[in-house]
Amino acid sequence: MQTRILIVFLFILGLWGLLLARGAYLQILPNEKLQKLKDKQFHTKVRIPSRRGAIVDRNQNELAISITAYSLFADPKIIKDPKKTARKLSRLLKVPYKRIYKKIKPSKRRFVWLKRRLDRETKEKIRSWEERGLGFIEEARRVYPNGGLLSSVLGFVSSDGRGLGGIERTYNSLLSGETQEVIVRKDARGRPLLVGLNSFTERKDGEDLTLTIDRDLQFQLEKELKRTTQEHEAETAVGVVLDAKTSEVLAMANYPSFDSNRPFKYSFEQRRNKAITDTFEPGSTMKTILMAAALKEKVITPGKKYFCEDGDFRIGRRKINEADSRHHFGWLTATEVLAHSSNIGTSKIALELGAENYRSSLVEFGFGQRTGVDFPGEALGIVNSLPWRDHLLANVSFGHGVATTPLQMAAAYAAIASGGVWKSPRFTKEKNENYREKRILSQREASQIVLMLNAVTGTAGTVVNAKIPGFPVAGKTGTAQKVKKDGRGYVRGQYISSFAGFVPSHDPKYVIYVAVDNPKKLYYGSQVAAPVFSKIASYAIRREGLTPILISEENLLKPAANKVKQDRAVLRLKSVKELKRTVSLVPNLQGLTLREVFRQSKKMKFQIKFSGSGRVAKTLPPKGFPLPKDKEIEVFLER
Amino acid sequence: MSKQSVNDLKPFASVLIIIITLLLIVFVKMEIRRSGYMLWKQARVEKQLQDEFYQKSVLLAKVLGPNRIHNIAQAELDMQKAHFGQIIQMTPQQVALKQ
Repeated sequence: MQTRILIVFLFILGLWGLLLARGAYLQILPNEKLQKLKDKQFHTKVRIPSRRGAIVDRNQNELAISITAYSLFADPKIIKDPKKTARKLSRLLKVPYKRIYKKIKPSKRRFVWLKRRLDRETKEKIRSWEERGLGFIEEARRVYPNGGLLSSVLGFVSSDGRGLGGIERTYNSLLSGETQEVIVRKDARGRPLLVGLNSFTERKDGEDLTLTIDRDLQFQLEKELKRTTQEHEAETAVGVVLDAKTSEVLAMANYPSFDSNRPFKYSFEQRRNKAITDTFEPGSTMKTILMAAALKEKVITPGKKYFCEDGDFRIGRRKINEADSRHHFGWLTATEVLAHSSNIGTSKIALELGAENYRSSLVEFGFGQRTGVDFPGEALGIVNSLPWRDHLLANVSFGHGVATTPLQMAAAYAAIASGGVWKSPRFTKEKNENYREKRILSQREASQIVLMLNAVTGTAGTVVNAKIPGFPVAGKTGTAQKVKKDGRGYVRGQYISSFAGFVPSHDPKYVIYVAVDNPKKLYYGSQVAAPVFSKIASYAIRREGLTPILISEENLLKPAANKVKQDRAVLRLKSVKELKRTVSLVPNLQGLTLREVFRQSKKMKFQIKFSGSGRVAKTLPPKGFPLPKDKEIEVFLER
Repeated sequence: MSKQSVNDLKPFASVLIIIITLLLIVFVKMEIRRSGYMLWKQARVEKQLQDEFYQKSVLLAKVLGPNRIHNIAQAELDMQKAHFGQIIQMTPQQVALKQ
């Protein structure tokens, strides 16, 4: 009997032992399959993007900020009274009852978004109802506090916080940080445990981004573009302001534009940043580039004269007209060709320069290629490949048969303003991998172009509207006929008026480009775009606190003038005797011919650089001043 | 106390030590949980303050927006843009504005 009892006991013990061993196997030993099963049974993953970094301007003013918003979701299976809940939600969220009810009516779905990005007050109100089956997930909401300001540059984000345009897209990876996956617990019946969704978690937020943009200057630019567009009943207007020294973008605007807070309410056309993505024929603003190329290739000097055929010039069977048919120019110097914007004069210079030289200069100035700006969708522009027929060459010389973006044109003028160094425009202080910087003109050639551009806005020039009292302005207008949409021929009576320039020209701070598309009342660049330039430049200068200067040639050639000032300081410190011993002074060359000047230079062992023809009108440094270290004197000849 | 009575108390002492140890473990675990809740609560407060900071930054940026300032200057302070040929009314001291 005892043996039987022992056997039964051992048998039961064995069974219990097996059960315990199985239990231990399941509970203690790691098992991947079981772990996955458990996770599937008790947890669910919810993706929450981290807080997107803010975008600020150069003075740390906020342009885009992400704030926490609360997205409402529902589990339709556990909502007790869907009709009542839908009614309450409809009233609070101002969403049609039917739309909410359709989402939360009993179904197999366990998760449905009801409304994204609610504010804190609304969230607290819904929480206070203590309704089962409703929950919140924290998300970031992008806010652009200045509304439409800078929207075409900033771009916008999608509902899940991804940058879809502009700077938001270019710097998306930097701004967005790391998207987080939160594991939400659910109970044995598969219901999500709604409490504790906003639990403590470490987020890897996006970094803040500082732009080179100046918010106040941007506002002025947008305001002026809007005013001009309305005043002249134009279709659109584009403006770019660059820092003359660094080519950093200080302001960039399009009108009409859109509000980044509600981007999808606007058409794709309005959301585009036309200053970067659109190309057009620039017109006469291109003449400056031709002059720079011709100076570089030593084809012209500022004083070299061209006969402008009294307004009647033919290349083969085609006639080249002046921009204004009333103009019948005779002999003009290269400076005057630019100042009066003579198409015939520029055509002749281009023909002398040659297509190959001109095209390579255009490419050097950044046309026909991306500038490398940190912005998506930049257009290349069009510079036709060689060979060019003479007629095309003449056309390209005055800005037709070639297409550029406003930013390319601004960057080209910035190269002249910065003393001949072309730099990629950029929106941030950091230089990206596409950034380029190259010298395309010598300092002297750049200074000569600056002087020639000063003549454009001078009393003899075409653009008195661009003047700023107290400050020298260098710039050029453009009035280009609009190309037909199919790309063949021009639209009659439709123009793009533009102005490109920099200020103050003796020590440039701002490069400004303005283009107005199809103005109806007036259409010349000098009448439509130049006043906008003047207003923007005046504002920028006033804000910078620059002192007005006496406008003279001496002041315009700042590097040389500064040198003179420095030498003057040296003069004050030394006695006359010492000076006579140590410093050679510039002789009086006034009124001498070039031959006589060369004779003098041999005798006194100094070098000369001359421009113009005839007799000496002026020297730099002026007579009686010490010779520069390199013993080189600039001599300006006049007839 | 005799050796006998010490020996008699030993089992009780052992049980007591075990109970105290178990209680201590429970206390430590509770303390960990409590600290966890405290941390969680503080993190929430921090996050809430951070949210408030960003909300207020947005408000401040809106208040100081150039468009708003421009509108206030024109509408409420009657300030207009200077233009060429504008007549400046001089005060009896012959200064328009103290510089």
